[in-house]
Amino acid sequence: MTKCPACLVGFGKGDFPALAQHLVGRADESDSDHVRWLNQNLTRRKTESETLVPTLRGFFDVGPAPLTAWVKKRFIFKFFGKVPHPFVAALQHPTRATLLGYVVEHQHFLRQWVRSCANIMARTDRQEVVEYELDNLTTEYAGFGVDRPSHYELLLRMGESLGVDRSRVLASPPLPATRRAIEQWNEMATREHWVAVLTAMHSLELIANRNLVDEGASVHYFDPSILSGNEITPAAQGFLREGYEADVDHSDRALALASRFARELDVLEDVQSVFLRSIDLFDDYLIARLERAGQFEA
Amino acid sequence: MKRNYDGCAICNSTWGNVWAEVEGERLFFCCDLCVVQYRGLIERIKQETGWARIDAIEIAGDRRGRTCAVTSGEARETFAFAFNPEGHVLRFGREPPAPAGAG
Repeated sequence: MTKCPACLVGFGKGDFPALAQHLVGRADESDSDHVRWLNQNLTRRKTESETLVPTLRGFFDVGPAPLTAWVKKRFIFKFFGKVPHPFVAALQHPTRATLLGYVVEHQHFLRQWVRSCANIMARTDRQEVVEYELDNLTTEYAGFGVDRPSHYELLLRMGESLGVDRSRVLASPPLPATRRAIEQWNEMATREHWVAVLTAMHSLELIANRNLVDEGASVHYFDPSILSGNEITPAAQGFLREGYEADVDHSDRALALASRFARELDVLEDVQSVFLRSIDLFDDYLIARLERAGQFEA
Repeated sequence: MKRNYDGCAICNSTWGNVWAEVEGERLFFCCDLCVVQYRGLIERIKQETGWARIDAIEIAGDRRGRTCAVTSGEARETFAFAFNPEGHVLRFGREPPAPAGAG
């Protein structure tokens, strides 16, 4: 099914004329999500829907390469272009405030992460997907005992190392952009095909995939030099290092599964649009981290 | 106020159809979010400069970061700014003047 990448309403498979008409119609109504998608992905100039059809076809064309290549290209364009995402720019050599903004908003993201991945497990009939999700959730949320704490625990320790107690972090409600993103990821997880959810969520782990630089990303998620020396606290190094080491495997394994099952189960177009919606939500969520950081600036 | 954009007053998009009055002028915007952004921007510029009136605004850049060159009479300032997802000003500060000879 072809889906609108701004609101996920569905159309017939390959029905790009209907999608173009929908996008133009919603943009005519000045809907900000649809206008934003058109502005950022296709064109800022108002266009007739007939003219938009070939552009849309080209945008969604995966070609003979696996879906992974298309996903990475879109992700790099959005977060690691010539001007990287402002949060990525701030994380190159982060201030205490940037890291604390990360801690306070990310706790909400990680709690949604569990719900999203649990939905994938509940709805897939593929054992390798269940095994992948169990491994991912153990790393991200449960941990492997005292010697290998979870990403969630390492996040809270990073906050403590910067002088903010975990009880204060856990008591902080999410900022509006984080809340909106979480609500939509939750809805996505329960409504969309599990292959689409798998792609939409685990593609986000590309943010810390250090190999993206070899595939065209302008910078890493952070300057790797901060993992040594004393620019940031050891607990912050511990948190960032964990993602730096785990997320190449997490994102690549998930995208390999997604590429395979999207074609096998004939849900490629669903997967593409749900992924596109997810990275728009992620974009806003990363800005919320910066907004939260502002509250910690002296 | 003189502007460099013929589309939406903040992003130059020609999608959408929102008209709103800002500083006594009826302006075109692509969506309500851009109205919030533009109003917030004008307010911050006036707050920062103390100007009662802005004669011209020239915006450059995209959502990853924008700059604006503003004039009021003989006075001229350049600011860098960005918005949060709700359209409120997230960052706003003076831009250093471009080095002499910079194109």
